[in-house]
Amino acid sequence: MASLVTCPHCGKRPKEEFTVKGAALTRPAVDAAQDVWFDYVYLRDNPRGAYQEYWHHTSGCRRWLVVTRDTATHEIFQCHDAAERGEVTA
Amino acid sequence: MSEFRVTLSPALGGRAAVSRKGISVEAQPEGTLLHLLVDPTMGDAVRLAADLMAAGLELRPLTTGQWFAVGDTALAHADLAALSATLKPQADIVDQSHGRVRIIVKGKMAARVLSKGTAVDLDIAVFPVGHATTTLFGHISAHVTRIGEDAFELIVLRGFAESLWDELAQMSLEFS
Ligand SMILES: [Zn+2]
Repeated sequence: MASLVTCPHCGKRPKEEFTVKGAALTRPAVDAAQDVWFDYVYLRDNPRGAYQEYWHHTSGCRRWLVVTRDTATHEIFQCHDAAERGEVTA
Repeated sequence: MSEFRVTLSPALGGRAAVSRKGISVEAQPEGTLLHLLVDPTMGDAVRLAADLMAAGLELRPLTTGQWFAVGDTALAHADLAALSATLKPQADIVDQSHGRVRIIVKGKMAARVLSKGTAVDLDIAVFPVGHATTTLFGHISAHVTRIGEDAFELIVLRGFAESLWDELAQMSLEFS
């Protein structure tokens, strides 16, 4: 896993300062079908390559971030505050 | 806010200052430490700072919209309530005086010692006087402010204060 994360508020920090919540997925509509919700809650693609996740800067600014990283090369493409965008793409 | 203050024995009460060549570590008096949650859309922060200074407190940037206000003496309950009323609705105060402890690390070697514990670049060019951030020192999360060219203030949760103190004492051993 990527070892240095550039927090938009704090700068470059070691991954030990963060807590990973998991894939940043678009939340289905409240009345979406049960299989759509099942997919959202339980099923993950586990791709080789670009992946977007929620990371919490627990031991730093305590902001929720959206980190886009490569699961194979550990490269981080983008890191922004989760409040900056209402919706995430996945 | 509780009407009664809990009287605590100081978290680092028994610890004499660590004094070595080019570095010292000292516990600060457990006076006042307030957590401020500020609504940036409600007026300017300058007034906020002025109100706090009038109460004998200094501001430390914490994170987006949040600050610590610190002082060496404990504010009386009435003064705290008055300050809280003055700052509303721009800011809300959470009294953390009982929950966090301040430690000063200073001297020519202060940045070198602290760098053993954190990944944050403490060079004065990128971490100037007045700059602050929260980071891990080893496994302990602490808030660090540069309060002078060679002086840093660490704010740590009370329960971790002794552990952090012991680590600072150990990290500075090479300068004894
Ligand atoms: Zn951060």
